Parts: sequence; structure tokens; C-alpha cells
Amino acid sequence: MIPGLNLKALLLASAVALTGLPAAAETLRVAMGFDPLSLDPIATSDNGSIWTQLLIFDTLVRPDKTGEGLEPGLAESWTVSEDGLTLTFNLREAKFSDGTPVTAEDVQFSIERAASEESGWARFYRPITSFEIVNDRQIVMTLAEPFTPAFNNLALFAAAILPKAQVEEKGDAFFDAPVGAGPFMLKNWARGSRIELEKNPNYWQEGKPYVDDAVLEIVTEPSARVIKLEAGEVDVALDPPLNQLEDLDGKDGISTGQIIPYRADFVQLNTTREPFDDERVRKALNMAIDKDALVQGVLYGAGEPAAAAMPVMAYADPELAPYPYDPAAAKELLAEAGYADGFEAQLLVDSGAATSRNAAITLQAMLQQVGVRVEVQMLEGGTQWETTKSGNYDMSVSYATSDTIDPDQIIGFVGVNPERANAYHTEWKSERLNELYEEERKTPDGDERGGMFREMVQILHDEAPYIFLYHPASAWAAQDYVKDFEILPTSNFRLEEVKIEK
Amino acid sequence: MFLAILKRLLMLIPVLIGITLISFLLLQIMPGDPASRAMGSRASAEDLQAMRELWGLDKPIWVQYFYFLRDCVTGSFGVSIFHKQPIITLVADRLPYTLAIVLYSTVIALVIALPFAILAAANRGRFLDVAIRQIFVVLIALPPFWLCYVLILWLALNLGMFPTGGVGTGFFENLYRLFLPSLVVGLSTAALIQQSLRAALIDAMKADYVDTARAKGLRGYEVFLRHILPNSLISTISIIGVRVSWIIGGTVVVEKIFSVPGLGSLLIDSIVSRDLPVIRGLTVFFAILVVTVNLIADICYALADPRIRLE
Repeated sequence: MIPGLNLKALLLASAVALTGLPAAAETLRVAMGFDPLSLDPIATSDNGSIWTQLLIFDTLVRPDKTGEGLEPGLAESWTVSEDGLTLTFNLREAKFSDGTPVTAEDVQFSIERAASEESGWARFYRPITSFEIVNDRQIVMTLAEPFTPAFNNLALFAAAILPKAQVEEKGDAFFDAPVGAGPFMLKNWARGSRIELEKNPNYWQEGKPYVDDAVLEIVTEPSARVIKLEAGEVDVALDPPLNQLEDLDGKDGISTGQIIPYRADFVQLNTTREPFDDERVRKALNMAIDKDALVQGVLYGAGEPAAAAMPVMAYADPELAPYPYDPAAAKELLAEAGYADGFEAQLLVDSGAATSRNAAITLQAMLQQVGVRVEVQMLEGGTQWETTKSGNYDMSVSYATSDTIDPDQIIGFVGVNPERANAYHTEWKSERLNELYEEERKTPDGDERGGMFREMVQILHDEAPYIFLYHPASAWAAQDYVKDFEILPTSNFRLEEVKIEK
Repeated sequence: MFLAILKRLLMLIPVLIGITLISFLLLQIMPGDPASRAMGSRASAEDLQAMRELWGLDKPIWVQYFYFLRDCVTGSFGVSIFHKQPIITLVADRLPYTLAIVLYSTVIALVIALPFAILAAANRGRFLDVAIRQIFVVLIALPPFWLCYVLILWLALNLGMFPTGGVGTGFFENLYRLFLPSLVVGLSTAALIQQSLRAALIDAMKADYVDTARAKGLRGYEVFLRHILPNSLISTISIIGVRVSWIIGGTVVVEKIFSVPGLGSLLIDSIVSRDLPVIRGLTVFFAILVVTVNLIADICYALADPRIRLE
């Protein structure tokens, strides 16, 4: 045998093999900290489920990337009548991933389902009282009374459009192998381990997704997510530990990004108890906290100091500044209120939330400077919630996030009493704020409505039923060859926009 | 023997009823409302009430207990509030990984512990014995989470010999992927086995029947294999029995760090989310496993040591 010939034959064979192969499928691998509980959009409120659903299902309209407005989704265009009572949607020629068209009937079914008894989000959709199907691609929704947030609520994951026939036929089993009109289809779901998605060939945005497959690896340990990224086992790691961000950014081939999502962290003050019933005391507490130091020390710089218990979102007043850090003035105010020697109070904190725990300990030290002696009490998250709800607390470290881009949802929660949570269990009440809230919900979007929100947030800031802390950033770390990955202000991410450029 | 096992199985019934009752009552006094956990902090009171009714949380306690017993008997163990699946399905998804770690780590432990126990016993009191003992004492004392990260950083990240975590498909892929987590669990099991087996071997070596065997002219290795080792393994079997019971629910740290979707992480996640049916179902399921493992350990004693009879 002649060795040279053998080698040549081998080379030839491999060249044939190479040209015969299609381009390798591109897979984007993302390490995510949450294991989705269910893919039924009306039954969930956990991040893992919501983020996965938004990759599989689509909504009529959706928040744009800035989070300040809405952009077309399955609805190509829409009109809102002048009195705000009639919403007309024109659907685009979209298909579910199995090729069946998305029709007005599917839309009515999905929204009615979201408003039904078994839905956790029913109150968002009940204001829509009737539907009229004009034709397969046009639907008119009617409200009994003006409710401006209704339109925005249709951009929420709970209003995902589902194929009526299949959900009715399969029942709960549909959500084990769901069919949607979103950019990806579920290929395999190994519970607790990974979710494998593949490109929806019928997705209405032509050419997207850019990658062929996407895998969400469930890695609940933040450090383990980073290690997986460094080992090259994943392309993107969500929520790396904030204290490792700088380190990660310095590594070859890895870059990090961050965004401040719609979230505000604060300390609830029980205003039914002394001394928190005194506005001067509440203001003094706000002035005794060095927010910049908290952002540096607790968030490792990944965040912004907060001026109110509201995220910085639509209609926010850019002029509204956080309370200045002024321990001397705080002491004066306390003395004026009759607490020259300070007082003792308990501070509840979720023992499972590392950042909140660190914040609580820092707050304890800062408040000590103005004579307020704080006893930090660590409770399991659920117990903390029950305790504040029953009003059996002094102060409690907590936060609020917004699921929609309309500030109505969150102001109703943190500012309005009684409405949904008695101003998040602070029991603080402002008649003016309550009035504005009623008004705002009937006022069409625009400057007038914006002014109402600014006034409500100003009242919240001035009367300070909370110690306002900060807006923490959401971070991610990715391999350099991953292009255009970002977390949106609504905390989710669009994998259909992501490219892999190796 | 068969009758004895049957009798033991029948005795399990009252034990299990006791376990269902205790796990049910304990969870009743656990604070936190599953409905408000499921619906998030912003749910309204009516929505919460509707959810409680849907799940039967508004029914009297004894009715809820009866439902629970019925679910245990029919084998579903109830339905998860969050996953919306029968608990037995959730368990079936995760049990293979937990069992794999149990078996794998036990094999690793035996492979490590046996030679070192024999070596130490044979060199009792000498430097080698002391050195081996000290090393294994350190192994017992090492915190598992630390060991996990050291192994990941060293073997997975620096040397690239193993994946940093997660599970795959197929037997051989998982044999490879589960090696590091099983090693962490196996090392501490090995340390326990080594210490007790060494002591048992030394005791056995001094026993009269060993002198008898020697006097009868048996060779050294025959005495060791036929008389010393089997008699010493009783303690090892009981340690493995206890360890296995512990590993089934106790590998949470290892499972979390290596992202292994086992029963331990399911239990912890369910406690955090207040998924009462899952916590209850798992408690009963763990109890059944532990009782079964103990029964198997007892049978193994009887097989290893003819003096022990199952009564």
C-alpha cells in the first residue's frame, strides 16, 4: 500500500463530507436562575415562567424596547375611540407555530380566558366587557366605563394569544406542549434542568429569530451561572452576582451589561404606629440614609438612588430628586417631633434576599447615627409578607416591580389606600392621591394624565410613608460573540433579536 | 425469611399513617399563605379567595387531610399548586437523578474507603494509619459547598475535565456529568465508612474465631476474606443505610451548586413557594424511601451475618 495515496483518499473523502453538510445549526444557550413553574400565562407570576412564555407566545401589542410606548405585535394597527371605550384591533396575517392562522376568535378566547375565574390576572381584563368579531382579522373590544390602563394591559404576558381550538381540546395538557405565535417553539422541557426552544418557522417577523435554537439552562446558583459562562458552557448568564460584574468585564471574551428595570426598593413604615405616624419622623429617616453609599456598598454601584417608591418609568418627573443625606437636619427634625434621643424600632427583612439583608444591616448602622436604634429581624419571605400584611411591624425592607409599562398598576399598589394593599401595608392615606388615581384611570394618555402621575408621586415623596432606597440594576454577562442581547426595562429579554457572530 | 419481610412490610402501614398525620399537621401551622405566594404580592382579596377555594384551602382541616390520604393511596400524592402536575410525576422526573447520586456516591465511597480502611487497620498505630485517619477526619469536616466550588474551579474550569454542572441524557453522559456531585457526597460517606470499618476490622482481627481460623491453618488472605471482612462489614452496611436515607433529601447544597434537578432542590423550592401539596407528598415519599432503605439494610445484615435473624 502506498501511504500517500491513502492520505489523499482520506482528504478527498472529508472534503466531500464537508460540502455535503448543511451549515451547523446555531444554538444560543442562556443560563437563567428560575425554573418556570407553568407555561399557562394566566396561572403564573414568577419570572422564569413569564420570560419563557414571552418567547413562545405573542401578544396583540407589546412594550417597545425603551419601555415607554407600545409597538405592534399580533395587531398590525389599532384605534382607540375618543371616549376611550372602544378599542379596535386589526390583526396581521400571522400564524401559530403549527401553521394555523391567528384569528379574531383566538383573540377573544384568550382575553376572556385571562379575565376568567381561574386567572390570576383577571382584574386586569374584567373592564373589557364585550367583544365584537368583525371578521377573522378585526376585533372590537368595548369597555363599560373609561379605563385607560386597559390598553396597556393587553401588552402583558397574561394576554398572550392562544389557539382557541387546541386549548379547548387539550385543556391543561396544552401547556405541556404549547403552540404559540411567538418567535420560538418549545422543543423539550426537562423540568428543573433546561428548556429547549427552536425557531418558529411561521413567526411573523421575517428572518427572525436569527439563531436556530435557544436553550434556557436552569442554574439557580448565581455563581454557578458565571462559572458556566467562563467554562464556555453557556453564551449568556443572567443576573450574575453584582460584586463579580467588574471582574467579569475585565475577562477576555466576556462582556457585561446592565439596565435599571421597573423596580424600586424601599422600607415600608407602619404609619399606624408611633413614631411613624409623624411625617417629620418619616422625613428624618429618609434624610438619615446615605443612598449613594447604599448603591455603592450594597449594589456595588449597579443602581440609582430612589426619590420615591415608584420605578422611574412613563410620566416620571426627571426633576424629582432623592432626599438629601443630611444627618444633622434629620436629628433636628426628630427633636422637633419629640424624639431628640431617638427611638427603638424593629426592621423586618427577607432572610433569603442577600441584597436586602445587606441593606438592612447598613440601614441599621446609618440610623444609629441619628439615634434610632434598629433591631433587624430576619424572616422567611412568605412570613415577612404575612407579617406586614397583618400590620404587625414597625419597618420592613421590601420592593415593588411593575409588570406593565403603565405606572397605574404600581401607584395603585404603593400609594393608594385602600385599593389593593392599603398603600402596601403602610396604612398611609392621602385623599388627594386617591382622587388623582380615580381621575387618571379615566383620562386618556397624554400630558394631562402625565401631570396627575407626577403630582401623585410628588405627594408620595413629600409625605414619605417609606424610606426610599434605590433602583437596583438587572445585569447580564455574555460571550463577546453574542450580539444584541439585552434585558428590557420590563425585565424580560428578546432572544429573536440576538445574533451569534463567531 | 419471606414471611419475616412480609411482616415488616405490614408493620409499615401504621408508621406511614403516623407520618402522613404528622406531616399534614406540621404544615398546617407553617406560616404563609400559598394562594398569596402563587398570585404574587399584588393580587386582590377576591382573587386570593377564589384561588383558595379552587385549591380546597377553605375546607375544614379534616376534609383536607382526607383528600391528602386519598391522594397518597391512589399514588398521585396530590397535585402541585404551582407546577399543576401530579406530585408523582414531579417525583418521577427528579428521582432518577437523586437515586443516581445515591448509588454513584456510594460506589465511589466504597472504592475509596475499603482499601484505606484495610491499609489503616493492617498498620494500626503506625504512621500510615495516623496519616490516613487524619486525612479522612479532614474530609468529614470539609463543608460540602466549599468542596463543590473547589472541584468546579479546579477540575472543571481550570483543567476542563468535567462540565461545571447540569445533567444530560443517556446513561454514559450522566455518568460523566454526575461524577463531581457524586464525588462530593461520596467523599464524606467514604470518610465515615473508613473510620468505622477500620475500627471494626481491628476488633475482628482480635476475635477468637480469627485465632481459631489461623490455628486451623487457613492462609492470611483466606482468614481476612472469609472471616474478618464479612464480620466487619455489618457496621458499614448500617452506615450506608443511614447515609442513603440522608442523601435522598439532604443533597440540596450539592444539587443547587451543580444544577442537578433532584428531589432535594424540588423540596427546597416547594418550601420557598409554599407549595403545600408537594411538601406533604415529598415528606411521605421520603418516609417511604427511608423505611424501604432500612428494610433493605436489615435484609443485607441478615445475609451478611447469619447470626442476625429477621423477626
